[in-house]
Amino acid sequence: MATTAYKRKPSKSELRRQTVEELVVYPFDWLEERSGLVGGIKYFLFRKVPADINWMQTLGSAALTAFLVQAITGVILAMYYVPSADIDPHTGQPVAWESIVNITDHLTLGWLVRGMHRWGASIFIILMFLHMGRVFLFGAYKYPRELNWIVGVLILVMGMMEGFTGYLLPWDQTAYWATVVGINLNGTAPFLGPWLAQFLRGGQEISGATLTRFYSLHMLVIPGGIIALITLHLYLVIRLGVTSPPWSEDAAGGEPEEADAERRRSGLTRPVPRPAGAQAMQAEPGGSE
Amino acid sequence: MESEQPSPDTEHESAREEAHLPSPTLWPIGFAIGIVVVLVGLIIDPLLISTIGAVIAIVFGFLWARDATAELREERVVVEPERRELPDAGAEDDPHQVTLTPVTDTQVTRSVFLEGATLGLGAAIGGLITIPVAGFAVLPGFLGQELHKVDLGPIERFPLNQWYVATFIVDPTQGEVSKRAAFLRNNGTVADPKTNQQVPSFSIISNRCTHLGCPTQANGPSGLRFTGKPTIKQHTLTGPAEFVPVVPAGYGCPCHGSQFDTEGNRTAGPAPRALDRYAFEINHGRLVLLGTYSVSEVVGTGAQAQIYKYKQAGPGEHINGPEQWLYPLQPPHN
Amino acid sequence: MAAIPKEKPSAVDEKRAEFARYKADVKARGKPFYPYAMFHDTIMSLVVVCTIIGLAVIWKWSAWAPGHDPTHPGILGPEIDSPANPGTTSFVPRPDWYFYFLFYLLRVFKWPESVFLGTIGVPTIALVLLLMLPFLDRRQVRRPSARPVAMVAAVLTIVSMGVLTWKGATANEALASEVVQNIPKWIKDEQLPKNAVPGVNLFARAGCTACHTYDGVGGALLGAPDLTQIADRHLGIATQIKHLNNPSSVTPGSPMPSFSSLGQERLRQLAIFLEASKGTH
Repeated sequence: MATTAYKRKPSKSELRRQTVEELVVYPFDWLEERSGLVGGIKYFLFRKVPADINWMQTLGSAALTAFLVQAITGVILAMYYVPSADIDPHTGQPVAWESIVNITDHLTLGWLVRGMHRWGASIFIILMFLHMGRVFLFGAYKYPRELNWIVGVLILVMGMMEGFTGYLLPWDQTAYWATVVGINLNGTAPFLGPWLAQFLRGGQEISGATLTRFYSLHMLVIPGGIIALITLHLYLVIRLGVTSPPWSEDAAGGEPEEADAERRRSGLTRPVPRPAGAQAMQAEPGGSE
Repeated sequence: MESEQPSPDTEHESAREEAHLPSPTLWPIGFAIGIVVVLVGLIIDPLLISTIGAVIAIVFGFLWARDATAELREERVVVEPERRELPDAGAEDDPHQVTLTPVTDTQVTRSVFLEGATLGLGAAIGGLITIPVAGFAVLPGFLGQELHKVDLGPIERFPLNQWYVATFIVDPTQGEVSKRAAFLRNNGTVADPKTNQQVPSFSIISNRCTHLGCPTQANGPSGLRFTGKPTIKQHTLTGPAEFVPVVPAGYGCPCHGSQFDTEGNRTAGPAPRALDRYAFEINHGRLVLLGTYSVSEVVGTGAQAQIYKYKQAGPGEHINGPEQWLYPLQPPHN
Repeated sequence: MAAIPKEKPSAVDEKRAEFARYKADVKARGKPFYPYAMFHDTIMSLVVVCTIIGLAVIWKWSAWAPGHDPTHPGILGPEIDSPANPGTTSFVPRPDWYFYFLFYLLRVFKWPESVFLGTIGVPTIALVLLLMLPFLDRRQVRRPSARPVAMVAAVLTIVSMGVLTWKGATANEALASEVVQNIPKWIKDEQLPKNAVPGVNLFARAGCTACHTYDGVGGALLGAPDLTQIADRHLGIATQIKHLNNPSSVTPGSPMPSFSSLGQERLRQLAIFLEASKGTH
């Protein structure tokens, strides 16, 4: 017996709503069909993370925010900074030093952008160390996240190198002498040390050539490396998932108290193997994992 | 949406409910080029170039019109279909099909050759791009290290046995960035071992600490107020130079705590050797600094000092003892 | 298939199984990243950006705001130092603060044969250990209470880096350029008479505070005694001059170098100053 579903005629406001929805959705569908990007972003946004993640786990994205602040303020500063150690014949001061004073004293809001860039560097490094400490505390460097930890350490090292190269750019006394010592430190490495130091300096002594190559390193080489590594780092986080705090008892990754107690009683060193598969967990109503 | 492609089968065209489209033709391109040449010729040379353009436009226009009116004259225009049908695989009764001989392992197949060629050419391109670029990045720091002589003025200007903190410009073309400081003293004269004549003796000690290159300071009062001697400022043949009188009990480094005595020997701290010194010559009665050299130790003081000289080494590097083999090859110095 | 005795699951298999359990658990009971986790991230990022802007504002208003006294740099340092001068003899180089721990490490290894430990040895080993951490610790256990070695190592690392950073921040060599500003304070604290003033000027400039301490200033190195109350030893001017000329003759085995190059008149001024240093009041 055929039954026809009785469809109520849609009202005017419902029709309008439908049309608006279709209009809004249309560009996303267009983009998704041609690139698949919308699906990717949706996956990133709506993927599941453990229900009991901690505030400490925001340090990673906070470090990323600090890096973005550095990148943006750095690009703006680059529009006004001049990486030249030559002396300006009118004032007798080095041109690079003068451009920094110009940014800070004379350009509108230049003091704010320069200040943000300078202190953003310190905040970026602090956040990276705190994030590293959090990951260590959570044991989130263990299987399968070993590669992610190594990538993270490399980002930390590159971040500190970025700070070191950027420190020279104002070309004041602090900048010059900190760089002298830093490069000579590299020079004390056996065999290749003196060659590495001379390459960094662009000569036997620090000169204008040193400033320009440090500028190139600071603006192009190291940020490129950091961006590439951050991309890999984020990809691995999304792929491997976010850990839950190690003291969590019922969410993913936590060792349940009962299995722990049983293990200690039975004298085993490894956790008691649990039945494989998600069904086993679902089948124990109220049982904690 | 209606298809905009002309049907390859013109005799069915009238049977379809499509817009009437002209038959496909390439001559309009030539016509357009002709028009462009006419217009350009109007700017450059109307007589010659516009005429050429007009000729081209007319010729191609004629060909285009001929093609476009082909079906009016009931001529058939043969057009290749847009989609090619793939030949059937395994058509055995095709006399033109070539039978492929089976390939043995010893033969280099086309795919293997292409693989190798791609990788090889890719490596070659990579090398062509990287090597000059890397060379440009690395080599300028190592080549062209030339010695800059620094004129410090007539030697009579320097009172006997008075230490000065000398600041001078080493390379006038580089300017301020090549400013250096040294602790300088006129020791009087000493007998030249080769000629047995009395030659001027100066102690000129670089102030760069041999630990990591920090600027050492003289441990002692300096300036007119505390030494009773005036500061000497002069403009020499190679640039400005300043000499501040000082009475040092030694030199100390503000970075990591190295201390040196007045001859530059290390007395405390992490410096691996004595302070470097400047070689010098007396040119027409003027003191001229040459390059620096490294010193392991100095025995004695002033004109009678025995200086154990070595080739210039970077800060932190040992020049004698077993650790010197950690730095077997030095980059080019001046 | 013949009956194969069931092997104990290998460590890798266990890890994979546990990861699979984790994945299934998150799928079943996790919450979507947006908006739950992303909200936390956004709040934290806002805090970070506000902190950076706040620091920039404080820096400006403490260092170079209008009406500000330019001789006092303010709590976040000066706007910029004087231009680079490679021929300086009065500057005290320091790296950026996050390198202080490495900087102080260089000051710890004073004996030349051990210097390489501070420059290359310790930092390289620390970096290698950090990189290789996932391969040194292969246990799957994540709870801090079950990872004693990791927790002890973490506390040791954090504390030592903190201490090294702080020591690096407070390190000073007490060379002339740093010390001379203390002279007015010394004159006031010790109530030095007028004839001791040339001596105190010399004392600050001659590098004595590199090894001796005086009224809270200076580095205590090589066993050099504090000189704040040296007059209480009643050595007398003649002995002081003799000591300055040749320290070993008064204190056998003393590592103090001779200061005779200063000239006898200056040694006398120093001796007067030392004999007037009866301690702070």
